[in-house]
Amino acid sequence: MTQRVATYCYQCVAGPDLLTVKVCDGVATEVEPNFAAAAVHPGGGKVCVKAYGLVQKTYHPGRVLSPMKRTNPKKGRDEDPGFVPISWEEALGLVCQKLLSIREKGLLDESGYPRVAASFGGGGTPQSYMGSFPAFLAAWGPVDMGFGSGQGVKCYHSEHLYGELWHRGFTVSPDTPLTNYLISCGANVEASGGVAGVWRHAAARERGMKRVQVEPHLSVTGACSAEWVPIKPKTDAAFLYAIIHVLLHEQPRERLDREFLYRHTSSPYLVGAHGYYLRDPGHGTPIIAASLEARETHAALEIGADGEVLAEGRLEGETAFAKLLAHMKPYSPEWAQPVCDVPAATIRRIAGEYLNAARVSECIEIEGKKLPYRPVAISLGKTVTNGWGGFECCWARTLLAALVGALEVPGGILGTTVRLNRPMSERHRSVKADPDGLMAYPFNPTDRARWSAQPNIRNAYRTMVPLAADGPWSQALGPTHFSWMFLDETPPGLPRVTLPELWFLYRTNPAISFWDTAALENRMARFPFVVAFAFTRDETNHFADVLLPDASDLESLQLIRIGGSKYIEQFWDHEGFALRQPAIAPRGEARDFTDIATDLAARCGLTEQYNASINKGALGVPLKEFSIPEKSILKSEQVWDSVCRAASLELLGEAHGLDWWKEKGLATRPFPRTAWYLQPTLAAKGLRFEMPYQERLLRIGQELGRRLHENGMTWWDRQLAEYQALPAWKDFPGLWETAIGAAGGKTKDFPFWLLTSRSMQYAWGANVGMQLIKEVADNVAGHRGVILNTGKARELGIRDGEWLRIATPKAEVRARAVLRQGIRPDTLLLLGQFGHWATPTAKDFQMPSMNPLVPMSLELTDATGSGADVVRVSLRKAAVSAKETSS
Amino acid sequence: MRWLQRHWDARAAANFTFGGAGSGLLVCSVLLQEPYAVALGLTLMAAGLGAVWLEIGRKLRAANVFFNPFTSWMSRESLAAVAVFACGLSFLVFREAVLLYGAALAAAAFLWCQARMLHAAKGIPAWRAPQTVPLIVATGLAEGTGLALLFSTDTAVLAAFALAVAARFLAWRRYRAAVASEALEAPGKALVWIGTVAALALFLLTPLAGLAALATGWWLKLALVTRASLNQGFSLPHLPVRGAR
Amino acid sequence: MTRWAMIADLRRCVGCQTCTAACRQANATPPGVQWRRVVDLELGEYPEVKRAFVPVGCMHCEDPPCMHVCPSTATRKRADGIVTIDYDLCIGCAYCAVACPYQARFKVDRQEFAYGGSTEDERENLHPDRIGVATKCTFCVDRIDAGLARGLTPGVDPEATPACVNSCIAKALHFGDAENPASNVSQLLAENQFFRMHEELGTGPGFYYLWDRRP
Repeated sequence: MTQRVATYCYQCVAGPDLLTVKVCDGVATEVEPNFAAAAVHPGGGKVCVKAYGLVQKTYHPGRVLSPMKRTNPKKGRDEDPGFVPISWEEALGLVCQKLLSIREKGLLDESGYPRVAASFGGGGTPQSYMGSFPAFLAAWGPVDMGFGSGQGVKCYHSEHLYGELWHRGFTVSPDTPLTNYLISCGANVEASGGVAGVWRHAAARERGMKRVQVEPHLSVTGACSAEWVPIKPKTDAAFLYAIIHVLLHEQPRERLDREFLYRHTSSPYLVGAHGYYLRDPGHGTPIIAASLEARETHAALEIGADGEVLAEGRLEGETAFAKLLAHMKPYSPEWAQPVCDVPAATIRRIAGEYLNAARVSECIEIEGKKLPYRPVAISLGKTVTNGWGGFECCWARTLLAALVGALEVPGGILGTTVRLNRPMSERHRSVKADPDGLMAYPFNPTDRARWSAQPNIRNAYRTMVPLAADGPWSQALGPTHFSWMFLDETPPGLPRVTLPELWFLYRTNPAISFWDTAALENRMARFPFVVAFAFTRDETNHFADVLLPDASDLESLQLIRIGGSKYIEQFWDHEGFALRQPAIAPRGEARDFTDIATDLAARCGLTEQYNASINKGALGVPLKEFSIPEKSILKSEQVWDSVCRAASLELLGEAHGLDWWKEKGLATRPFPRTAWYLQPTLAAKGLRFEMPYQERLLRIGQELGRRLHENGMTWWDRQLAEYQALPAWKDFPGLWETAIGAAGGKTKDFPFWLLTSRSMQYAWGANVGMQLIKEVADNVAGHRGVILNTGKARELGIRDGEWLRIATPKAEVRARAVLRQGIRPDTLLLLGQFGHWATPTAKDFQMPSMNPLVPMSLELTDATGSGADVVRVSLRKAAVSAKETSS
Repeated sequence: MRWLQRHWDARAAANFTFGGAGSGLLVCSVLLQEPYAVALGLTLMAAGLGAVWLEIGRKLRAANVFFNPFTSWMSRESLAAVAVFACGLSFLVFREAVLLYGAALAAAAFLWCQARMLHAAKGIPAWRAPQTVPLIVATGLAEGTGLALLFSTDTAVLAAFALAVAARFLAWRRYRAAVASEALEAPGKALVWIGTVAALALFLLTPLAGLAALATGWWLKLALVTRASLNQGFSLPHLPVRGAR
Repeated sequence: MTRWAMIADLRRCVGCQTCTAACRQANATPPGVQWRRVVDLELGEYPEVKRAFVPVGCMHCEDPPCMHVCPSTATRKRADGIVTIDYDLCIGCAYCAVACPYQARFKVDRQEFAYGGSTEDERENLHPDRIGVATKCTFCVDRIDAGLARGLTPGVDPEATPACVNSCIAKALHFGDAENPASNVSQLLAENQFFRMHEELGTGPGFYYLWDRRP
């Protein structure tokens, strides 16, 4: 008997995408696109290569299929945990015994940190697989979700924070169906953009969109672009600054979108002598000049940090735009050339092409509305949008959009969704006015009255990073490496960072995916009680005390929101919900996560709070009339049946239960195309984009600095310098060169830039265990070693396939040489994040990762709390046996 | 995207080495009129065919190999082999000269089919070159006449050996001019210096010169089948236009 | 007359291997046997480097070298252009594999599984008739024939379309009747410039690569 079961795939942030699973006689055999979803899904109803590995994932012989407990009390890389199978009763008993003892002691420890921590990977995607576990955590109380595994700080971090600040863009996408010219600085969309990204860009290419890929190596995206610019790592800001310079100083001013700048940005706000806005003495609001580039005198106040009046009376100011002109004067293409290793002529030409394609003053009709049409965009990738320089790059990109009016309009750059502003499900409704005519932003307070050195969690985001806000996602967007780093030495001013008494883990493997993995392992080994929801054994659950087998992707039940606009390139003309339903019964003793969560809540005496959380909307939609009675203990199917009814009522005005959803798989209603564009919403509210001048950030930085110094905390001073109203170029590459010295080496001995790049076939996580994925990924160059330039290799006498030693002063990894022309001679590249030593199948790959080589370093952390996957290394031939392959 | 074929390994190569030498010997046996030579030739051919039988995936279906004499040189080779064994074994029993001639003719056809077989393999540039055909035929004859020297050093046999070795040398030169193959460099040099020059220098003195011709021919064919057999990979006469011309 | 053909739009393909994985799974081929795969080609010298992704597999040639060399007549060509292998006739000599200029044919001598021992899904789809014989892309001929019998259009209706084409997330692969001027394939060939792989060998592939619009 054959049936097809509809479900979704959300293994990476480029989803969710829709698929069907063919089930023959109770065995899942084949994944196919959900053809019925083709009409609404922005990727034609397809799923990417990873989803085809789900069958192997389900039947993987290495799966943990029963709860397990550790019998070897010693924890370490070389210590066999001695996991033995136990019953669910015993397993949950062990876990809840610990939890209940914590409840008795108090949920916060002596430092004020939650005793319970939880880490999830995949940029939030585990939430679409963990059933009602979020409701359990909400019922529990304070949980430290800030022990990172790489999400945020290693990836698009600056774009998350600044993107939300400037245009409600947690991630930023070009308006691909309409964009004609795209400058992509390291955004590897063909590998990381998922089905929607690939689908949209392929159509755009065919239609004639020109993409210029600016990246140190010829990635998959570079391959599919019209032009490849091999830029020096970490110099993208110089490249972008030079383009700004060309637009401001070499092109007639009339070619820019002066109207947009004057009316829809804070460009005409007058800036006083101290760098703050001139404000009306009565209202306190910024004074707007009569023209874009003006110098005017007004009766005004200039108010600085902590509300201090820095000047008052008849004050002279110049517009933010005038200040910008002066600020960008030095950054010519000739200045940029030696910095970023891109010829000035190339930079100038690209700037010209960008401006030519911008169609300033043109309009387009979208759903009967006339909107500005500006078909140019700039996208930024990982390592460009995080770490030092991330701020400058994001600022430059957003400014370049503003200069031609291509910000949040058809054809230009668009924010996808919000995670820090609220409501999360409705980006436009998060646009609220602040007193200065800009969008209000939920900064963490920096004023004397409300700033606190008592952080709520160990990574201290609320204390250190005003931009991280304080919503459900803020914990994972703080400096999540601090939780790890400060365990050994908490810097002055913060309460001593303590070990969590209980740590939940799900779909995350920080021992592989974070930095300084050797040190991380040592720290994890000290965690007293680790509960890992496990798929197979891996490098992190190696340190666990209890393994719990949750029913995997094709075995469990959940309903999620889909559509609207969400991350990466998921721009839909529809919105709704999709169901993930069991294609087969859970194998072995694996259990649906919702059932596990319900059981945990019951054993901890938290059923009422748990149900209340579900009723309130923890599972995506408030249940309202379908609420769960407060003391009921329901099975997963019953819980999700209620969610289904509430969801369909919200969506369609009719309540449909689980059976209906199981048959349909998904349901949607139209989502207006005009909702992709935020500019009309700001215009309607009379608000402006905060570009170019970052007066708020300047003030916040000053205030934060004062609070920190008042509290004896001077170790964040370098980061405070990033709070500039108009960011200057700094020698970003130099920071990584200097770091070598700090690590005890000489920069000239470590001449290569080591980078990483996405492997679409693997990202994320558990796919490293799939034989099918490994097999097909090997067709794509670079999956079998370290990519280096063929000419460089010849110079060094290195042959293809030869074992090499890649090292920093402190650590080394081994990899085989993969000789390619498409990479800078000074750059090495390790695809993906491998280096496994415990995960079945992956541990035999003989592929390392750069992660053991990258330190967790305060010096290399920027003001938003992020770092970058960049490190300077040496390269030598290595004589190595097959055993010594990963570090 | 060069790919070295691994389906035809040493066992398949054995068909060409043993079978080529054996059929070459059988062709020459009209000059020898020697039953032991015929037996050796048949044994070598059988060894080659037996080796290749070990390589096929469905051994019990081997008889299907005859089904396509219309276009397949492998079918034709198999039919020729049948004729060789029919005539050759009959000759060993009945000793009729006409059977010997029949076997020799069928052996010549067998050798020809072997050469055409490689040439028809369009996927391997080193095999499909037209120069492959005379090379395979010539080396089969050189190897066979080399073996013949073990049975007789009559003038006719000596002359046949010299002619075959010279012809092989010319065929090799023509092949090498047309096909560049790193894997054949060393075997080719051996073929020239040991299998041709040394062999011709010594053949009047010792029958071992024949073995020099034999060994170098075998090495060449082994390398040709198992090491020089790169598929030509993929190439793009036009690169895709990615959005902008 | 029908002539089934496949198109790969090289402007669109990103080398993601989704089609490779879909084909492996839909046809339940053993590990390593990729009837459809995408090749990663790099050309030029730094910094003037180009890189392209090229879907390859059996080209279902007009004049298939594999068919001519096949001693058992296991390899045949249908009137609609599809080159087939009768697994029950094939003796596994691999002559076709070396005759094929496109690396399209595979032979495995033993049943092998992804993780050593077999898993439930693998046991559901065993093909013992494919051990020891030549195998290759069939253009999912069973789907095409079943689809046609139900009045569906291969290349348009997913159930009648090869799995690789169905799976492509870049809309790079297309399938249809090249003899029908109104078909999707014919229209794409009319509107775009294309080439076939190793055209000079005279095999007449039934697989076209698009590289640019027609001016």
